[in-house]
Amino acid sequence: MLSDFKSQFIEISKAITPIILVILIIHFLFIPDFSISNALVLILGSLMVTLGIALFLVGVNVGLIPIGNAIGSDIPRSGSIVIILMTTFFLGFLATIAEPNVRVLADMIQIVSENSIERLQFIMVISVGGGFFIATSIFRIIYNVPLAYLFSSGYLLVLLLLFFAPPDYVPIAFDAGGVTIGSINGPIFLAMGIGVTSILGGRSAISDGFGLIGLASLGSVISILIMGIVAL
Amino acid sequence: MIYLPIADNIDHVIVDVIQALSPLVLFFLILQVLSLKLPKDYVINLLKGLLITLIGMVLFFQGVKIAFLPAGQRIGELCGTIEQTWLLIPFGFMLGFLSTYAEPSVRVLCYQVETSSNGYIKGSLILYALSIGVAISVGVGMIRILYGFPFLPIIFGGYLLVLILLRFCDSDFIGIAFDSGGFATGPMAVTFLMAFAVGVADSMGGRDPLLDGFGMISLIFLTPILMLLIIGIIFKMKKKEMYHDS
Repeated sequence: MLSDFKSQFIEISKAITPIILVILIIHFLFIPDFSISNALVLILGSLMVTLGIALFLVGVNVGLIPIGNAIGSDIPRSGSIVIILMTTFFLGFLATIAEPNVRVLADMIQIVSENSIERLQFIMVISVGGGFFIATSIFRIIYNVPLAYLFSSGYLLVLLLLFFAPPDYVPIAFDAGGVTIGSINGPIFLAMGIGVTSILGGRSAISDGFGLIGLASLGSVISILIMGIVAL
Repeated sequence: MIYLPIADNIDHVIVDVIQALSPLVLFFLILQVLSLKLPKDYVINLLKGLLITLIGMVLFFQGVKIAFLPAGQRIGELCGTIEQTWLLIPFGFMLGFLSTYAEPSVRVLCYQVETSSNGYIKGSLILYALSIGVAISVGVGMIRILYGFPFLPIIFGGYLLVLILLRFCDSDFIGIAFDSGGFATGPMAVTFLMAFAVGVADSMGGRDPLLDGFGMISLIFLTPILMLLIIGIIFKMKKKEMYHDS
């Protein structure tokens, strides 16, 4: 674990140094009232980010990914499709509610809609959407429904909804697609999909294991566009 | 002694991270008791991993909040005042590339793609594709803020293109492509790039910074999908060539 941390730390330092350098150079050259304490905060913060990412990635490899895999490979064992869909719905629902960014977005929606959309109502809608699509993607892995069908019909629906949704909601809807997947549920869902394919015969991890995240995002986009239309 | 606000509001960050982790951990523990029944030592190791993740995320989020978020804002405001406004386009392109290159969850995706394809699809290919995709997004976002053209046609055209490309894409890449949108809009994009865009829009005046910021994230969600679909099409063409050669 320690050697893993060391190699991750070196790797991440290389990844993050360019952006930190650009930020520092711009600050020193062009921002006149850039004080020493500001510079120190910037440097300390960058160190925290580097150390944080390295720890996060080590933890993901020994914690989140094996846990996601274990959940994924255990789910199909129950044999009953109803139980499988119910548990995955529940998991997707909870994981979306728990995502901090969803709450930030809910506040924004309340502002844009001038309080016509309640925060809690919004969080519920988006989480039900998340749960529904996580269950759908497990269903599609088990029954081998091609991803291309799901994505093309989903985005076709999105394009249609764009004609009817209020313009203010459009950027928020796509933003929601991105933020419902966070740094914790993202890796877990990813590993879960791959776990499900590993236990079922005749599936390839690469073409069947992925797509969960994309479907959950699609679910959020659709649910907010519909909300916007309803709120009209 | 100068006061450095590096631990301000860190309690909120800790609560957020624990909250995000807890349902998944709880779910796992219930499964463990009911059916998984993994060896105890193994479970303890997993929990240690979770603890490391938790500490890492708290450090990362706090660092982003105290350093990258205000830096993005300051740079954005500074950029809004320069005279050669076209410079913002290549500059935005560069910031988009560099911040995605440093995005932690993008790394997780790359790692998972490389391991589950047994090295057939290189993680670095995905990393560069996503970084270039986000770079294009931020560049286009800057053009949009500078010249004020509407957002809807870009999004509509973009997803229409997604639907067309999807028909020709290698099936191995479809899942990865649509997943990548969610990973590219990670904490670096949502805080640093969004603060930068809002800063630029703000100092230009006469725009709606809130919606401009959201618009930026929507673009960052779109271009990685397009990039990976294109790579999927190239892979498919290469496969065909190999088939014809042999």
